[in-house]
Amino acid sequence: MLVKVVIVGCGRVGARLALQLTHEGHDVTVIDQSATAFARLGDNFPGTALLGNGIDEDMLKRAGIEEADAFCALTNGDNRNIMSAQMAQHVFNVPKVVCRIYDPIRYEVYKSLGLGVICPTVSGTETVHEILVKD
Amino acid sequence: MYAIVIGGGKVGYYLARDLLERGEEVLLLEKDSARAEWLSSQLGSVVLTGDGDEMSFLSTTGMERADVVLAVTGDDEDNLVALQLAKKRFNVKRTIARVNNPANVRIFKILGVDEAISATELLLSAMEEEIAEES
Repeated sequence: MLVKVVIVGCGRVGARLALQLTHEGHDVTVIDQSATAFARLGDNFPGTALLGNGIDEDMLKRAGIEEADAFCALTNGDNRNIMSAQMAQHVFNVPKVVCRIYDPIRYEVYKSLGLGVICPTVSGTETVHEILVKD
Repeated sequence: MYAIVIGGGKVGYYLARDLLERGEEVLLLEKDSARAEWLSSQLGSVVLTGDGDEMSFLSTTGMERADVVLAVTGDDEDNLVALQLAKKRFNVKRTIARVNNPANVRIFKILGVDEAISATELLLSAMEEEIAEES
């Protein structure tokens, strides 16, 4: 099934995800505050790149959040991600929300509140740990 | 009354000073150490240097016995997360936010902050009142 996805943050992960999803035929809009970040999308990005603030309600509406099936918050700032993901989940009722939080403590707090969260610090540590202690 | 003020900019400084003059117990949190030093020189030993949304730091503030927590930094996402942590992790009864983007007043309330105050909105309504009186 093809879906409409809004991604906030066009860093390494955001851009890679955007390219992968558009390659699969999904409808993708990426928001970033820095125009230079969009260079990561290459020259022929088939989705939409929007310059602006991902915690601004009007900006999110322009990105089509009201019709989105999924939303990802992937900026460098935990708090920005937490705020925009909560807007997606609780204000715009986007069915699927993924919020990246680097800080394990904030990750636990928002996980327990029912926000869709991932923590690269926790999962990265687990991956390395597994390699180290594996027979 | 024990009040914790997060953010020692202009608003935080005058707010803390005002509360102290009224005889309240105040703790002012400021993350920039040079700014915190200046605040201490003005207000006395009511200033702590640290990040208002770092849990390990917040645990040292006695937040669980605060009657009110006010987040008044210039960044809406930081104010939101600090107050959500205050409410969810420390069971603070009353949380008040300074909101920099007026559109976020509604968002903050949906996301569980008790009071969200926009300086822009206050200024506009005061000015509109002045204009109305003139005519």
